[in-house]
Amino acid sequence: MPSTPQLSPQEEQEKLLEEALNVVKNQAFQMKRCLDKGRLMDGLKHASTMLGELRTSLLSPKSYYECYMAISDELRHLEMYLVDEFQKGRKVADLYELVQYAGNIVPRLYLLITVGTVYIKSNELSRKDILKDLVEMCRGVQHPLRGLFLRNYLLQCTKNVLPDVEDDSAGSDSGTVMDSVDFIQLNFAEMNKLWVRMQHQGHSRDRERREQERRELRILVGTNLVRLSQLECIDMERYKKCVLPGVLEQVVNCKDPIAQEYLMECVIQVFPDDFHLQTLSAFLRACAELHPNVNVKNIIIALIDRLASFAQNEEGTGIPAEIQLFDIFSQQISQVIQNRPDMPPEDIVALQVALINLALKCYPTQVDYVDKVLETTEEIFNRLNLDHLEHGSMVSKELMRLMKIPVDTYNNVLTLLALQHFGPLFDYFDYKGRKLMSCHIINNALENETLIPTQEHVDSVLNIVNCLVQDQNDQPEEPEDPEDFAEEQGLMGRFIHLLNAEDANQQFLILNTARKHFGNGGDQRIRYTLPPIVFAAYRLAFRYCQLKEEDENWEKKCGKIFQFCHHTIGALIKAEQAEIPLRLFLQGAVAAGRTKFENSETVAYEFFSQAFSLYEDEISDSKAQLAAITLIIGTLEQMSCFGEENHEPLKTQCALAASKLLKKPDQCRGVAICSHLFWSGKIGADEAEMHDAKKTTDCLKKGVKIANQCMDSSVQVQLFVEVLNHYIYFYEKGCEQISVQVLNQIIARVRELLPNLEANEETEQINKHFKNTLEHLQLRMEVSDSTVSYQGLVL
Amino acid sequence: MSFFGFGQSADVDIVLEGQETRKTAEIKTEDGKKERYYLYFDGETVAGKINITLKKPGSKLEHQGIKIEFIGQIELYYDRGNHHEFTSLVKELARPGELTHNQSYSFEFQQVEKPYESYTGANVRLRYFLRVTIVKRISDVVKEQDIIVHTLSQYPDMNNSIKMEVGIEDCLHIEFEYNKSKYHLKDVIVGKIYFLLVRIKIRYMELAIVRRETTGAGPNTFNENETIAKYEIMDGAPVRGESIPIRLFLSGYELTPSMRDINKKFSVRYYLNLVLVDEEERRYFKQQEIIIFRKADKARKNYQQALQHHHPINPPNMNQHEPAAAEKEEERTEQSSAGDGDN
Repeated sequence: MPSTPQLSPQEEQEKLLEEALNVVKNQAFQMKRCLDKGRLMDGLKHASTMLGELRTSLLSPKSYYECYMAISDELRHLEMYLVDEFQKGRKVADLYELVQYAGNIVPRLYLLITVGTVYIKSNELSRKDILKDLVEMCRGVQHPLRGLFLRNYLLQCTKNVLPDVEDDSAGSDSGTVMDSVDFIQLNFAEMNKLWVRMQHQGHSRDRERREQERRELRILVGTNLVRLSQLECIDMERYKKCVLPGVLEQVVNCKDPIAQEYLMECVIQVFPDDFHLQTLSAFLRACAELHPNVNVKNIIIALIDRLASFAQNEEGTGIPAEIQLFDIFSQQISQVIQNRPDMPPEDIVALQVALINLALKCYPTQVDYVDKVLETTEEIFNRLNLDHLEHGSMVSKELMRLMKIPVDTYNNVLTLLALQHFGPLFDYFDYKGRKLMSCHIINNALENETLIPTQEHVDSVLNIVNCLVQDQNDQPEEPEDPEDFAEEQGLMGRFIHLLNAEDANQQFLILNTARKHFGNGGDQRIRYTLPPIVFAAYRLAFRYCQLKEEDENWEKKCGKIFQFCHHTIGALIKAEQAEIPLRLFLQGAVAAGRTKFENSETVAYEFFSQAFSLYEDEISDSKAQLAAITLIIGTLEQMSCFGEENHEPLKTQCALAASKLLKKPDQCRGVAICSHLFWSGKIGADEAEMHDAKKTTDCLKKGVKIANQCMDSSVQVQLFVEVLNHYIYFYEKGCEQISVQVLNQIIARVRELLPNLEANEETEQINKHFKNTLEHLQLRMEVSDSTVSYQGLVL
Repeated sequence: MSFFGFGQSADVDIVLEGQETRKTAEIKTEDGKKERYYLYFDGETVAGKINITLKKPGSKLEHQGIKIEFIGQIELYYDRGNHHEFTSLVKELARPGELTHNQSYSFEFQQVEKPYESYTGANVRLRYFLRVTIVKRISDVVKEQDIIVHTLSQYPDMNNSIKMEVGIEDCLHIEFEYNKSKYHLKDVIVGKIYFLLVRIKIRYMELAIVRRETTGAGPNTFNENETIAKYEIMDGAPVRGESIPIRLFLSGYELTPSMRDINKKFSVRYYLNLVLVDEEERRYFKQQEIIIFRKADKARKNYQQALQHHHPINPPNMNQHEPAAAEKEEERTEQSSAGDGDN
């Protein structure tokens, strides 16, 4: 064939294929014309010439396939014609012999197969003998590509005529299913040989291309297995004794990774699951004997996945009790691992992943199976001397996958804790891996709202997720991204709320344990983790309070709880926190006040005074100061547990602190708020409000006075409006010390000052506030109920 | 026969006895055409009738006698002048006299010995014919009629398979087996090639049937080889352990029985030539003689022949014995490259 040098290999292929297809078309046309005229011999001659195109060595597998398809299409005409003739009774004597005169083997065998099929369909000769003959004669084609296609043609032609009966009782000599098995097994073995042989032909530099070509052809070989699976008379026994052993022997002995990998998966895919269940050991033993380059992992995983979904299939019968599916896999997998010292660790872990999936899907109640897998994994890591798996590495990813499976399946952290070997596996991750896994577990607990009910459980969980609880030896030097850190610690804070025992005493133990763990977290972490513990403790105090009928020691226990809280808040103070401890103290004071145990007033007082000292010693920013004192005042206003003796100094202290604020506006606001202490503050057990009108108005007057001292007129007006609001509030509450005149004075003052303000957004707001206030008053005047009278008010 | 246009002449017609039912057979002529004649076997009586038709009715034909001969002869093409008659029988049909009207004569050669088979080869022909001669003064009237003789053989008592291991050291070792050493003309050769060692890249393997016709004797011996059949039995390169089936039907080819030293003039032998061709067009071959014989037609052969396979009795053993002398030929002559390779 003259090849023009400018053609690319692909163009060359296209050209060759086109030429071949032209010949095929032409010869097929002639063949059909001869057949139409009843000139069989001439027809066969054209068929033979057409088949001559399949003798080529020039076509790539892809092109050859196309050529083959075109030809096998045309041969179907010939076959149909012959079947038709035979049915009409026009038999051609010796046709089977006649076609064997073709001098070239490839066309000869294609014709022989075609005629053989016709003979079978017309019940000429013995079906069994013809099948045997065809599959034997095909040995003559040893060229891999041509042989593979020829034998594929054989498979295709015999597709619907393979004997599929138990026994040949009719004596028609047409064979039994075992003849079909022999036929296919032999064809399979030969095709596989040819396919494997391709690997060893040609230059080593073409290896990649060759392997690609082999992959393209694999389906031809796999079709044999499909045919086997289509034989209905193959029952479990036959499969076990006659089919599988032959197939496995062939696969194992061919020693070719590509073939082994594909064919093993093929076996899994084409045969039914209950067959696999009965032949597991044999199949897995074969897996252990495969070539080291075979990715056995994928094969075993494919099998496990199939069986696992089979076990879950509702229509199916499930896994028969006598088959120890897990044990078999477990043993065989460890055998496979042993046989392959070079197996990459990620693949080993991947196998364990499959195994754990199997255990969870087929035996959801057998926690010990899962534990066994984890144990095995641990042993393997020990043996391989692996630890600190780098995050992002294949092994680390696989291990993470392995460990996430029980987390996500059980959706119950407590079940995880029942696994002896779950926690220890954490040690094989590096810092980042441990952290990701820990977050995964905590998130899982949060999503499922899994309550952790005992001290021991808490201990275990926190040990596992230790890297979220405290500093690690292997953590990176540079500090983490603050947002990530906050998010992660926020998770822990939320998690603490899940530490919840039914029994109050147990709960106390839990909090103690948690406190111990989190207490070691360092200054950065405890900001997030200790406050929830304190809150949980306050909640526990309320619980004891409710249990007072049942637990005579409840008061003592409450005392202990507040001691615990005091101590815990102290830890936060040591970590140079001020605002959080201040709030926690105030909250504690409230809690103690409400709990009303033996010493609650003392405790509340102590907490309050602690809050004050924090205010005085630690809070220096003026804004923070104002916020803090507002909070303190607000808290005190609410409390009702203090007697006069304790209430007085606290009140005074508040007023003092408010008036001592640095900035005048802050002072003004502080003292104005203080006024409420003297009005709605409560002393003693009767919970009545004080209504000390004198002191209330004193505070307000002082506020007005301070406001007058303000230099910034805008702020001044704002303060007047605010104070005015306080006045109105108390006036409406019935404070007799406040007269309409006072209100008129302040309103007039604001009216006087307001127009002088620069027009800006702030002024606008003040204006609005003032207007709203006036509107309120207006409304009140119109309604004018009996309790409040605004007579004389000038608006 | 009247070149001179005067005198009486006659047409001679030979009618063989029972010719309506007698079988015929084909034979090639020297120039490759095919002719069909009546078929006789050894020892069969050759009888019939001679019809002499006068060309000029009413006028008489004078003759010196009329005879019929049965002749078996061997013609060597390079020695046209000398025909070697190995059989020559004569019957007098009429004494010298004259024929006045059309005349018929019966003749009979009883149980004639016909020791050889009719044959047309490259350099030699063996033929049987009847010759009627009306002896005349100037030119005889002669009429010849060929017949074909087939020699039938008994099925041989001994018919061992041909089995042999051959090879080229460290290169190619094969064992081949043909199921018989003697085949009849409609037989089928069944066999197997077993590859013990393959270190060459084989492209294909074929089985050829070669006819060797030997004529002459001593220094004047001529050998003529002709490839009667070329039959591809394997495509592609096998590996060690492969066993390739052979099944070759003979009835489609123009074969004759093997002939050995026919009247000391010629022999025809047949060989099976197993040829392996590698990717560099080198040919490796091994020839084995087979005997071909003719056996009497039977009613209908068993169809099973079409499916026949050869199953060796003993599995081939690689270390059984030293390979027989190997024949390796690197002939890239015009003859070998004229093969039907696929490029």
